[in-house]
Amino acid sequence: MTRKILLTTAFGAGLGTALGLMAVPAVADTSDSRIALSNNYAGNSWRQAMLTSWETVTGPAVAEGVVAAADAFTTGENSATEQAAQIQNMILQGYDAIVVNAASPTALNGAVREACDAGIVVVSFDGIVTEPCAWRIAVDFHEMGRVQIEYLAEHLPDGGNLLEIRGLAGVFVDDEISAGIHAGVAEHPQFEIVGSVHGDWAQDVAQRAVAGILPSLPEIVGVVTQGGDGYGAAQAIAAAGRDTPIIIMGNRQDELLWWSEQKAANGYETMSVSIAPGVSTLAFWVAQQILDGNEVPKELVVPFLAITQDSLAEDLANTPVGGVANVEYTLEDAQEVIAGAM
Amino acid sequence: MTFLRMTASRPWLWAWIAAVAVFGITIAATAGASAAGLAQAAFTFAAFSVIVGLGQMFVITLGPGNIDLSIPATMTLAGTVSLKLMDGQEAMILPGILVALGIGACVGVLNYTLIRALRIPPIIATLALSFIVQSTAIWTNRGLRVKPPESLASFSTGTLWGVPNVAIVAGLLTIAAWVLLERSGHGRRISAIGQSLPAARRAGIPVEGVRLATYVLCATLAGLCGFLLSCFSGGAALNMGAEFLLVSIAVVVIGGSSVAGGNSNVPGIWGAALFLFLVVSMLNTYGFGAGPRLILTGFIIIAVILAASARGRTAA
Repeated sequence: MTRKILLTTAFGAGLGTALGLMAVPAVADTSDSRIALSNNYAGNSWRQAMLTSWETVTGPAVAEGVVAAADAFTTGENSATEQAAQIQNMILQGYDAIVVNAASPTALNGAVREACDAGIVVVSFDGIVTEPCAWRIAVDFHEMGRVQIEYLAEHLPDGGNLLEIRGLAGVFVDDEISAGIHAGVAEHPQFEIVGSVHGDWAQDVAQRAVAGILPSLPEIVGVVTQGGDGYGAAQAIAAAGRDTPIIIMGNRQDELLWWSEQKAANGYETMSVSIAPGVSTLAFWVAQQILDGNEVPKELVVPFLAITQDSLAEDLANTPVGGVANVEYTLEDAQEVIAGAM
Repeated sequence: MTFLRMTASRPWLWAWIAAVAVFGITIAATAGASAAGLAQAAFTFAAFSVIVGLGQMFVITLGPGNIDLSIPATMTLAGTVSLKLMDGQEAMILPGILVALGIGACVGVLNYTLIRALRIPPIIATLALSFIVQSTAIWTNRGLRVKPPESLASFSTGTLWGVPNVAIVAGLLTIAAWVLLERSGHGRRISAIGQSLPAARRAGIPVEGVRLATYVLCATLAGLCGFLLSCFSGGAALNMGAEFLLVSIAVVVIGGSSVAGGNSNVPGIWGAALFLFLVVSMLNTYGFGAGPRLILTGFIIIAVILAASARGRTAA
């Protein structure tokens, strides 16, 4: 099915860009192209799911001859210097496109510039780079924070006290989501954030931080989160013997399972929102489309993945045990995102 | 004067004084209403720091250069493999515990092998091994969180007469560690090696055997801690050990043990572990942002260490 779509797009693209080349192979202009994934970190379940998705989608793409290679590389330490060196190696190895999840928005700009100068297409996603020659597939993290308050305002019209669990201090994603949450609270002044802790996007860290602040907090009606911390918060609140407030979840399977158990037991309602790790596959197709000669805007936005009370059962069933709810993107999805940004 | 003399002979007192002070300031925010809840939370989370801290203490006691940096990776691997093996089944609990402890022991043996056979300094050897161990953990389960068996989950999050079960486990281990360090020949040998390696050799202490046993003990405790923490938090995570590298060393130092080795004390580890948890809770409670909180945490830790070591010097 993918092949059919590819054929038509390759044909369409071929008409536009390679009219003179009659001997172009039937599949796509990119069948000789080699794409590399430069990844800065693999030490959590989200990143592992991201790499697995990359394999799942690029494996068949390589087998079918859409691209010649799609190799994934991860640096040992989460360090920008190491990743810059890795990108320089990729330039020397002659890749046609580099898809990068960057350790820093600015520290890799030099290496990215070198790649662009060497005629290599650079597509950054999730951890994006600011270098103008690269493409950016960004997540609207600000909105991801704001919709949480929006949801709470709908379900708790009277408002009340909120506990905020933040991510890893000093990371831009943490600042963005938190800014979105605070913007939401400004819109809905019936809510007040009475406590804020850093959960580092990890259940055990969030559990410890929440357990530490909880005894000194008044009654809370909601917990706003950043993903990977909802289950830990639920456990800490249960251990303190408090009533369970609305805890916004972050698409992890243990969170969804807990939610579904609570839903079955007492009709518990909440929502869950995060980015799908499969965004790496979207970046892959975007890189392929650029190599194919299509015009692609430099700034793309990927929608985040929200799970509602109604979609919970289905999404939980589709999420691997212990993993993260995921979406793997197809070529059509990538084209849709590109068309939407035009 | 008597107070000074008392603290001089008991360097661990400072960590406890600091912990109690921070506890008081924190509950003052709610006029004391939160005391029981906060104490319970503090003992729960301090327990994990204590378990790895005890192991690190024995290694540090061995003297300059001895340290185990593979604790986080060992915790992660032990948690990941044992929870995958148990797969939520009650019948597999015993094999699960044994595998967690076994992984710890193996890492300890490998650590010592690198140090002894290849003559690599411990700081490098244990760090290098930790990369291998961490990669093995990633490879084993690719970060999927397997739930612990129900009875283990409820045991690790439960309490007995208001005392968290994990704190009881850590408490029993602390008593055992105290007996081992202060009352057994083995503990005397560890301290002797830390005070002077050549003197210990001349005295006929089987230095290498003692070092091997100490590294194995430390890694085994890390394995146990990884196992308990994964049961407590509902599954092993690839980055769950990350914080415990610094914590395991900090509780030893703040607890009043000598970083140079040869002179350690057990009660200080509890005081320091409680203190480290409570400092973060206190600053969170008073609404400090991440930046000021980290800076203040740093300053408070430095202050406690200075206070403890200044008293130590006057005594000497």
